[in-house]
Amino acid sequence: MLLQQILNGIMIGSVYALTAMGATLIYGILRILDIANAGAYVAGAYFGWYIYLKTENLVLAFVLSMIITGLIGVLIHRFIYAPILSKPRILPIVPLVASVGLFTLTGDLARLIAGPGTKAYNVDFGVDVINIGKLTIVPAWILIIVLTALLFTVLWLVLNKTKLGLAWRATAEDADIAKAVGINTNSAMALSYILGYGFAAAAGIMVGILYNSITPALGEVPSYKMLSIIVLGGLGSPVGTVIAGLFIGLVETMLSAYNLTFIPKDSVAFVALILVLLIKPSGLISKTNKI
Amino acid sequence: MKKLLALLLSFVMIFTFTACSSGNAPAEPNEPGGKEQPASTEPIKIGFFAPITSPAASADGLSAENSAKLAVKLINEAGGINGRKVELVSYDDGLDTTQAVSIAEKLTTKDGVVAVVSGSYSGPTRVAAPIIQNAGMVMVSAYAIHPDVVNAGDFIFSQSFPGKVQGRAGAEFAVKTLGAKRIAIIAVDLDFGTELGDSFKAHAEANGAEIVSYDKVAISDNEFTPIITKLKEKVKPDLIYTANYYAHAAEVVKQCRLQGLDVPILGTEGADSWQFLLTAGDHAEGVYITTNMNRDDKNETVQQYIKRYREEYNLEPDMVGASTFDAFQVLFEAIRRVGTDPVAMRDAIASMTDFYTVTGNLIRYTNRGEAVKPVQIQRVENGQFHYFGEITDLNIITPDE
Repeated sequence: MLLQQILNGIMIGSVYALTAMGATLIYGILRILDIANAGAYVAGAYFGWYIYLKTENLVLAFVLSMIITGLIGVLIHRFIYAPILSKPRILPIVPLVASVGLFTLTGDLARLIAGPGTKAYNVDFGVDVINIGKLTIVPAWILIIVLTALLFTVLWLVLNKTKLGLAWRATAEDADIAKAVGINTNSAMALSYILGYGFAAAAGIMVGILYNSITPALGEVPSYKMLSIIVLGGLGSPVGTVIAGLFIGLVETMLSAYNLTFIPKDSVAFVALILVLLIKPSGLISKTNKI
Repeated sequence: MKKLLALLLSFVMIFTFTACSSGNAPAEPNEPGGKEQPASTEPIKIGFFAPITSPAASADGLSAENSAKLAVKLINEAGGINGRKVELVSYDDGLDTTQAVSIAEKLTTKDGVVAVVSGSYSGPTRVAAPIIQNAGMVMVSAYAIHPDVVNAGDFIFSQSFPGKVQGRAGAEFAVKTLGAKRIAIIAVDLDFGTELGDSFKAHAEANGAEIVSYDKVAISDNEFTPIITKLKEKVKPDLIYTANYYAHAAEVVKQCRLQGLDVPILGTEGADSWQFLLTAGDHAEGVYITTNMNRDDKNETVQQYIKRYREEYNLEPDMVGASTFDAFQVLFEAIRRVGTDPVAMRDAIASMTDFYTVTGNLIRYTNRGEAVKPVQIQRVENGQFHYFGEITDLNIITPDE
């Protein structure tokens, strides 16, 4: 039973990490808490659902939806965040308010365009479950864990082995200096949005497949849980986000598995957040901006 | 850049605001107050609210609104009530209690409606009820489950049986018909799950069954794997009672079947939706639910509703829709008998007996304004809900008076 619960926890943790990664990448470079990432998660889930409905090709659904959502992210940055942030002495709350507006807009657009009812992916993996000894594995879990690992590997490679990644890290360290030494900080910011919104879209599709249901309310829980995960992970640290995501996933699973329901499961992330802020205010991984 | 930004942001804001407050803003009444209805040809206005724009509740809001419109359309097709047409004054409460208060104020002071139907959840209905009661206006709540709704006073009625009755009927069926002895309860941690879960537990235990686990799950939580793993490996129940809404109920059913926990599953009216069948797919086969609508009922009222609903909206009707439709039928019947005087309407509803609705025979109303109705047991066969049984024992289905 413990092994099974650990597997459950890793699966949920992977989804959390992937969902929060977008916000981490954007915070890392722009220093804004982008609640609209949860909107990208909703949009990605709906794009993926529509593409899968039309083509029955899951790979295509993932790739196209991630690209479309990523590009929307670039546009949002170009036309909404960049103009706000270009103002001198802008209050940090302004981009936050804009992102909340964008998030609300996404949910309402989804409702108005696709309708309020549940949509289902109905993905057929061929087998319902794989049993190894007493361990039960649902094919969607394998998809989630493998795809999350794959996306994070790609992220690591992009950030550490490419020039663009170097530009991203330099911009995250200090945008003004990076600009002064001739780094194209705009493309670094665009990279944040492509990857960030793309990852959120992938997370949205995964959750849509896992629960076989997407609704306009899909982004409500991620919109706040994401925040605690990125703060827990040390605000802007991709590795920290992965660790924090897995940590929250495992703790939540253990709580509901062993009837430790003295606190609601959803508050785990926030209790952890409070503890970390009290004990180690810089987050689990304190060297921010480093991968 | 400044202008562009201002433009974009204002667009976003306006959009968000309009999206929050859409719904049909009703026209101002012609005469604000003190009017006696001189012309009996004037339309009868009935107030209505449902959660249309709340992302989490908008699917139920749509079912409710669709059914409200259908009820009005059908009565007008049949020539209205006593020769007068019916007009709907519809609001969106956004599942927001503040919004519900101002809606109740408008309905009771400005809109000139003769009665109100709530097509919303317990939250908004509970805060609207006292305002409507104080205004001396009749309100029929379609499916809100919290006891405070009818407790607001003698003008407030519930179209359906209360949660307590449904939980009791579920336990009766689980223990006596399915022979369950070790039952695991999973309930949503809201009024809905608590009312049903607690009354199920009490009645099941009183009949000799053991409640081996009772898990409450937050509405925001979609992950049931840990609970089902625990049930399968440690608790080993012989029946699972899921007092959850459709998304959670589907997840319970799916996880049980995927993990190979092959015990009977009994759901509630919360799972009575095409969305449950869609999300759970083949795994839903054989699942039982307690609800108020019997889709296999040969009665003409029932079949006409199902047929017309499908035709009008290209959707499958559900419990929320049927209950809303019936709340209107109760009002229509009262107006047909006594006209639109609020006190006479109240008394007419309170004394209604054996009135056949889409959600079954309304035997009578209790002194608290709750309906005495048989509880339906439906079972999923070939991807559809079908008749399996009915709890008609008055000791079970009569709410506490």
